Amino acid sequence: MAEDTENKYLTLVSNDGFEFVVLAEAALVSPTIKGMLRSPFVEAQTNRCTFPEISGVVLEKVVDYFHYWYRNRDKENVPDMEIPAEMCLELLMAANYFNLEPGPGQAW
Amino acid sequence: MDEPTLPEIPAGRMAATRKRARDIAPPPEHSSTSSDPAVFSSDDDPALDNYQGHTRRKRRYVGAWFDQHPASSDSAFEDDSSPRFLQPRRVRGPHAQQPGQKREFKRHLDSGVWMGTDGSLTDSDDVFELEPATAKLPLPPPQLPPLIPLPPARPRLTPGELEVQSMIRQCVENGTERVDLSGLDLETISDGLLDPISDIEPIPNVAKDVEFEKRDPRLQVFLFNNRLRSFPASLFNAEHLTVLSLRANQLTTIPPAIGKLKNLEALNVAQNYLNYLPGELLHLLHKGKLRSFNFQPNRFWKPDTASFPPTMPGAPEKYELLTFGNPSAADRQPGWMGLTTKLRFRSPVQFSDGARNTYSAFKLPPVSRHPQEPAREGDDNVEVELEPFTQVAMPKEVTRELSSARLPTSLMAAPRGARSLFELALRACATSAQADRIAGWLREDAAEFPWPAHLAPAVERAVETHREGGLWCSVCGRETLLPLAQWLEFRHVRLQYVMEGVESDVAELGQEPVPFLRVGCSWKCVPAKVEAEGEEKEEGKEEE
Repeated sequence: MAEDTENKYLTLVSNDGFEFVVLAEAALVSPTIKGMLRSPFVEAQTNRCTFPEISGVVLEKVVDYFHYWYRNRDKENVPDMEIPAEMCLELLMAANYFNLEPGPGQAW
Repeated sequence: MDEPTLPEIPAGRMAATRKRARDIAPPPEHSSTSSDPAVFSSDDDPALDNYQGHTRRKRRYVGAWFDQHPASSDSAFEDDSSPRFLQPRRVRGPHAQQPGQKREFKRHLDSGVWMGTDGSLTDSDDVFELEPATAKLPLPPPQLPPLIPLPPARPRLTPGELEVQSMIRQCVENGTERVDLSGLDLETISDGLLDPISDIEPIPNVAKDVEFEKRDPRLQVFLFNNRLRSFPASLFNAEHLTVLSLRANQLTTIPPAIGKLKNLEALNVAQNYLNYLPGELLHLLHKGKLRSFNFQPNRFWKPDTASFPPTMPGAPEKYELLTFGNPSAADRQPGWMGLTTKLRFRSPVQFSDGARNTYSAFKLPPVSRHPQEPAREGDDNVEVELEPFTQVAMPKEVTRELSSARLPTSLMAAPRGARSLFELALRACATSAQADRIAGWLREDAAEFPWPAHLAPAVERAVETHREGGLWCSVCGRETLLPLAQWLEFRHVRLQYVMEGVESDVAELGQEPVPFLRVGCSWKCVPAKVEAEGEEKEEGKEEE
């Protein structure tokens, strides 16, 4: 039981040192994170993923998306999440990095 | 208030002059120390005399005419700390000033105006000889580098487009609902050139005993006999368009946004290079007001019926029921006449991802090229593979995903959950004001910055789709920018009328069934699968 509560949350760290504590179930929408947490890696033991390519601002929006996805996973007619136009290119890159693209591997 | 008294004036000095003795006491202190304007008329007004003194006191003022105030002291006492009032002195005799002699001018720092020195007679002979101020060299204009590169100048309109512009302006002014732009040899129509069409308002009939009625315009736009290569997207904003003719142009596709033209009654797209029609036209045909629809000849893809097993009887009807639901009886009153379609065949589904990699065995044929470009072989006669309505072939990646998510493969699952972050970001790109530049940056910076290779084409396509008016999923109806599932439905277009509840065809327009492209926004948005009769029974058993 204690282990469960420990594994319930993940810590995601951006390249400028911002830490985001995320519900593990929500973050697992990303196949990239799912792969990092597969057993033998350090990330799986510490529940802490560091992303040296991603800045805090972008990671915040990505974490936003994780929870947006988690809240709406079984709903219909989901309203679109607002994305500021100035971040769209960085988020396209982040979507590519976290494998949040449509196609195989995209969790439904 | 007691006035401060001044020392006695030396008697000798007073006696030496013939002038009357004057009270040279300074005016009350408060009048010169306070900068506030006078509140009461008796307070401070320099025009008022102080009659308290026994002797007459000469009023003395210093300052410019607009800023005059009583002198606080007399120059006779040589008090240097206070402003000095220069008393004009008249010189008589040999030292009198000669007429024509110039006065010297010097600047009085306290008053701010130029005043004559002593000895001046009148102001009438003033001749100012002021030294002209040396002209300062003007500062060089600031040479700032432009911070933001200027947007490219608006492309010059071609003579044909200028003519279009003036014709539309004339129609707007006269309230003409018929806009005839045919035979102008137009190749492209710039963005926004046709926008004023939606401003056309019919001139209401104003006559005696006729009730004023504001009616919606019934716009008719004729663009036939031009050389248009793309559908003018600005027409989609003209909500009241009823007649649109694009006959004899060089169109290869019709954007799906044509579904926005809900009032369209007649559409002519004959004599173009179309390979398929957008699925959104089905909404206009089934539920819209479209009465006249000309689409032949075109380069439509043909169904490959030779290698196709005969379909189960009744399957197309079941498919239509699953896809569109029951046709509402209210729309089909007796006497109703309009266009409908009858489904014949369906192609397999092409599954692709954001990078437009195709995962299914079936691929849509390439869209035919523009007539100016060299034609490929067999462009005129493309046959499309078909699939029975009882199955939907899925690539193994999709079935694996579906099974892991425990989703039924038989139904068009209602799309659940959020869109992918990629699609959300792509939409933000395409709808931003700088959409065109973003795509350009992605291409230019590819050498310096290793963007994922599929990003630039994905953004370009999304921008293009957005400019053409958008794309809607034909299964769930959501707006999308990524067609992830695409299939063709071959349909006969029929003119139909309803008489006393009996439907009957009048005529089938064209011998060949026409392909309609249907688009799904996710891999779950696929065509309905009609259960074969045997399977239905088996499922029934399972349920028991």
